[in-house]
Amino acid sequence: MSLKRAALLLLLGGAVIPAIAQQVQLPVGEAPTAGTPPADARPKVDESALRYFASQGDTRRLEAEIARLRALYPDWSPPADLFGPQTDPDLERMWTLYAEGKLSDVRSAIAARQAADASWQPPAELVARLAESENRRRLINASDAQQWSTVLRMATETPAILTCANVDILWRVAEAFGKTDQLQRALDVFTYLLTTCSDAAERLATIQKAMPVLNDEQLKQLLALERKDAQGQPEFAPIRDELIRRRIGRAAENPEYVVSADDISRLETVARGGDTPGDPLLLGWYLFRHDEASRALDWFKLALDRKGGAKAAEGYVLALNSLGRALEAEPIAFEWRDAAPENNKAYLDVVISLLTAAPPPVLGETVLTRFSPVVMRDRYVPGAQALGWYAFNTGQLVVAQAWFQTALSWDPNDEPSSYGLALTYWRLNDAARLNALVQTWRGRSERIVALVDPQLRATLEARNLQGRIDRTTDPLVAAALRVTPPPAGGFAPAPAAPQAGFQPIPAQAPTQQFQPVPTQAAAGRQPILVQTAPAQSAPAGRSYAQPTSYRESAPAPAPRPRAASGSGSVRGGGAAALSRGWRLMELNRPIEAVSAFDEAIKSGGRVAEEAAYGKSLAYMRKGMTNQAQVAAVEAPQSPRRAMQLTADLLAQRAFEFYKDQRYVEALISLDELARIGPEQQDHMMLRGWCYYNLRDYRSAERIFRALAAQGNTDAMNGVSEIEFARRLYKRE
Amino acid sequence: MRRVVRAALLALAVFAGGAGGVLSLKAQPMANTVPMEAWNAYRDRFVAENGRVVDTANGDISHSEGQGYGMLLAFLAGDRSNFERIWSFTRTELMIRDDGLAAWRWDPNATPHVTDVNAASDGDILISYALARAGAAWNNPAYTDAARKIARALGAKLVVKSGDRLVLLPGVMGFSAEERKDGPILNLSYWIFEAFPVLAQLAPETDWVKLGTSGLDLLTVARLGPAQLPPDWIAAPARGPVSLAEGFPPVFGYNSLRISLYLLRAGIADPQILEGFRRNWLVENGGVPAVVDIPSGRVVTPLTEPGYRMLGALLACALEGTAIPQELRRFEPTLYYPSTLFLLSWAVLVEKYPRCL
Repeated sequence: MSLKRAALLLLLGGAVIPAIAQQVQLPVGEAPTAGTPPADARPKVDESALRYFASQGDTRRLEAEIARLRALYPDWSPPADLFGPQTDPDLERMWTLYAEGKLSDVRSAIAARQAADASWQPPAELVARLAESENRRRLINASDAQQWSTVLRMATETPAILTCANVDILWRVAEAFGKTDQLQRALDVFTYLLTTCSDAAERLATIQKAMPVLNDEQLKQLLALERKDAQGQPEFAPIRDELIRRRIGRAAENPEYVVSADDISRLETVARGGDTPGDPLLLGWYLFRHDEASRALDWFKLALDRKGGAKAAEGYVLALNSLGRALEAEPIAFEWRDAAPENNKAYLDVVISLLTAAPPPVLGETVLTRFSPVVMRDRYVPGAQALGWYAFNTGQLVVAQAWFQTALSWDPNDEPSSYGLALTYWRLNDAARLNALVQTWRGRSERIVALVDPQLRATLEARNLQGRIDRTTDPLVAAALRVTPPPAGGFAPAPAAPQAGFQPIPAQAPTQQFQPVPTQAAAGRQPILVQTAPAQSAPAGRSYAQPTSYRESAPAPAPRPRAASGSGSVRGGGAAALSRGWRLMELNRPIEAVSAFDEAIKSGGRVAEEAAYGKSLAYMRKGMTNQAQVAAVEAPQSPRRAMQLTADLLAQRAFEFYKDQRYVEALISLDELARIGPEQQDHMMLRGWCYYNLRDYRSAERIFRALAAQGNTDAMNGVSEIEFARRLYKRE
Repeated sequence: MRRVVRAALLALAVFAGGAGGVLSLKAQPMANTVPMEAWNAYRDRFVAENGRVVDTANGDISHSEGQGYGMLLAFLAGDRSNFERIWSFTRTELMIRDDGLAAWRWDPNATPHVTDVNAASDGDILISYALARAGAAWNNPAYTDAARKIARALGAKLVVKSGDRLVLLPGVMGFSAEERKDGPILNLSYWIFEAFPVLAQLAPETDWVKLGTSGLDLLTVARLGPAQLPPDWIAAPARGPVSLAEGFPPVFGYNSLRISLYLLRAGIADPQILEGFRRNWLVENGGVPAVVDIPSGRVVTPLTEPGYRMLGALLACALEGTAIPQELRRFEPTLYYPSTLFLLSWAVLVEKYPRCL
């Protein structure tokens, strides 16, 4: 024992805390090297501890003490009267108190005796032992209170407590090194422990203690100190899998870390062999966070089957969602939504990603009807906002308005919701409310202000043109984040009529407006209006001709919607007016058709929906997009048709703006259009020409080249136009 | 008013600079100012075997203040053995902070026992002060050394500039101007004036005299409400007036009522600062201190225990030469806090006002 202790002292001075080694005061009577008494050694060997242990019959400690003294003083031998009566009963009482752990009593007794006898000095051994015991307690207290410097100070002051008999102290010292960014020294302590101490349980526990302190590389070094147990088995085998779990767990939390394939396959084997959800769950999270959602899904599924509970459900839902299977995820997400805050979040995220998907998916009624109460209950602003975008993107502007307003009633400073509301006003041609809303955001949101400020709009547009083509669709925010300021000053006074036909949707029940999308309404989205654009679409004032042939790719005038012609629900006077309207449309007499549709709208119901659609088309036929927009919302449209109408209107507007040389506004309309569906080539060509006319040749060229690469000959013309224009401007 | 304060400050400065500091303490009469019999009664009741001073009115917890009081009383009673006992517990259980200050709160029913590792400056001052006096009187360099470490840590962590003032933060966390918009938040009963000259010897790098004058300054401006008494907790921004600290009871209470004791122990019998105490205790309430609501000036709780009444008696003695009433001439432990105040009052009577006994 004495040799071991001496070795430790050497180690402490030499390796564990070399920087403070000079300050290490060895306990009096302890020599740093065995066998050589210190220069100022007391002439007499302190035998009081020895006598005390003898009087207590504590032979284990007695022998240890004899060995210790022999190591310190080679010439010394135990006194013959060791088991005789103590000569100093007072001192004996102090040792008794010490042995009972009553340290304050010992201190008090020493002080009392010194007060009575100024010349009396306590035995150095007693003082040293007392200091060790006090500092051990103080070290533990400091460690419990996370006062790491104090822990290290105690260890430095009393290195004698750093022994295999006090592994807990060694662990705490190692932890203190770890907490003060001295990992190497922490490793030194653990290393010392594993090279010196032999208790099997404590050795195993040492690895466990080291796990949260050391990094993987250091841990590996520690594991190299593994010994064989009595049965010849590697002693750390019981925690090998634990170590793998630690590595995977850490990497699961931080995707920057990767673990070896061996680790994964070992844990997969363990996970399959077991019947608990823990390992599958761990694998699920690791794989999910390392972009292997589809493998992760299987493990989450297994974890869920093994009653892995909320965390398993959360992972399962997130994995499905990230695999683009949000529709599948929704029911299970809903089922678990109240299990934990994370599950609620996962549920909300899933539905939000459904609502903000582009193009908007066909959502079952239940998805919406059970989502909105959750949003209302949690007053969840992003949820209300997403419902707003869904309504917006499916052309249900009044519903969109209600949801955005609901979101803003919870958080008036939610900029994306305000932006959505502003865009909705713009779509509704509600200049007054748009202006009022913009006022409240002046100085706070450029893109909202840009809705009515052409100059700012142009600036933002220029800033945001880059990367339009391969823009990513980021689930929730994407719908709101893009800068798509509509034209300022382009407002026709918003007619009061459309509002009259609608009741503002109460915030409590906005979802009633969402109708499941009828599957038969899958009319192709042909831009019916394109034919009005070509004649004037070539930019004026250029000496060179600008190709206009892209127009020719536009389809023929839209056929009358199938849903309208075949509908059995069209009846009575309203029905008659409706078919008259459609006939007039076929005769290309749109203004007269408008009157007929107006009459039909009065009858309400399905007829009114058809009629509003027809009226909208009629206006579009005349190029009156504002009126068309208004007409479109005169009766609720099915989401699919509303979307179709919206797309048509936007395309029409884009061409009109282009025709009027309002290129930025044309781009805005194209952005809006792109939001509700994949961009068609003719629209992309139009976009290219907009950029061209804005002299943003880089953006234009990128579009033209992309299309040219797909064999679009018009786009090739565009490329050569750009090259020509560049030469032209260079000359200027 | 300024004149009076300045005179008081002068007294403090003279004490601080006078006759070689720690050595001068040694030269003080060794006669015990706390009678051994009274101390033994106190110790039996409030000091556990392991040296823990138990706050019997607060769930039997301990705190750095109580340990400091215990050490100071043991010193004043000349009890070296129990001084060591209390210090042993204090050092092992509370002196665990990295910055060298004591953790302030220790709960026997919690694990770990230290339930708030923040420091409380009055506790550290008392511990350091008691150690310094004991170290000098009993010729124990280890005590002086420990006192110095605490004094330096106090100066470094808790004595801070605030505009023209030098102030004593009540704790390391939560009171400074950086942490509170109405900060610094101060407790004027943490200014233990008698300790400052000693701390100045131990940690001369801190201007303890200025800390004392700032404290007296604050005491003159912190006489708030109709009763003109200093609240327990004040907001004292560097610029702007002193006011009640938000989030603390708006009272002159158990903290502030010891201010008069501390002033008199330090020899600062400033009639102006003490006027609010005198009027409230002696004129209006028959010698009984009370918890007073600052905004209304009304008495919330009269404090009739002997330890509190002794504060009034000491004040009457110091200001008016009134003899200590017979019933207060014997000590019987009640609760930890008033009993402590009683013995500290007794000690100053013995030392400075023997004519009232």
